[in-house]
Amino acid sequence: MALEMLSNGILIIGLFFVFLAMLGLARLPDVYNRLHATTKIGTLGAFSVMLSILLKVGFSPMGVKAITVALFILITSPVAAHMISRAAHRHGVGLCKESVIDEYGKACSAACSVDEDE
Amino acid sequence: MKRYIAYSAILGLVWCFVHGTVNVNNFVLGVIIAPFIIRPFKTLFPFDQDFSFVNAIKKIPAQITFLYVLIKEIIKANVMVAKIVLQPKIDIKPGIIAVPIDSKTDLGITAIANTITLTPGTLTIDVSDDRSILYVHAIDATDPEGVAQSIKDDLEKYTMEAFE
Repeated sequence: MALEMLSNGILIIGLFFVFLAMLGLARLPDVYNRLHATTKIGTLGAFSVMLSILLKVGFSPMGVKAITVALFILITSPVAAHMISRAAHRHGVGLCKESVIDEYGKACSAACSVDEDE
Repeated sequence: MKRYIAYSAILGLVWCFVHGTVNVNNFVLGVIIAPFIIRPFKTLFPFDQDFSFVNAIKKIPAQITFLYVLIKEIIKANVMVAKIVLQPKIDIKPGIIAVPIDSKTDLGITAIANTITLTPGTLTIDVSDDRSILYVHAIDATDPEGVAQSIKDDLEKYTMEAFE
């Protein structure tokens, strides 16, 4: 009974964090800031949902698979964020106007001008 | 050869978890199939370097410490981003900064890059060609040296111990 309540509590916390991630996706200004919201909060949200499944069904096949999925999300979501942001920057998606510094852009433009000379 | 044995054991365990029932039969089946999976991806792993089981086991306490730090930082990061999202008016000063790193191996750089993405206010975008600088997008980039210093002190110490 206590386990059931704990599982429901974690499920609600997880869903609240997923909701916040979607809110951040809509409210934050550019690609990079939106990735902050979706990777960090999305990871913990999905992790909490999977953890609540594990607490509900115990170490049955379904619970073990749920925790496996959670661990894979924890490993792969930073890689996805890295690839999306890198692709966006290389296609010339600029930073929002609040941005104060862009050292990657400087390094990139230096490298690109060398490429064009060849 | 030692690497084949170690990776086969890990892949066997992963197979048990993916199948859903952890028992000896599944583990043995996973270990038997694992070398056929490792062979095509051999170039991705450092097979030319020496490997010792003693060193791998010695790193386990450091990896558990790292996991504890990681979970603490993930929760901190979530609370921080949640606060920013729930503000009535979003007031941030983001930017991309260059952070020098000391990690040399592939595994070490991957670990520090992934950890940076999951920790408060920072997101890895790219690694420089000579692998000494990470480009990090920070949600509050008013103090670039401070961000670089906090990454070095709080995170890289643990990943260096756990993965190099």
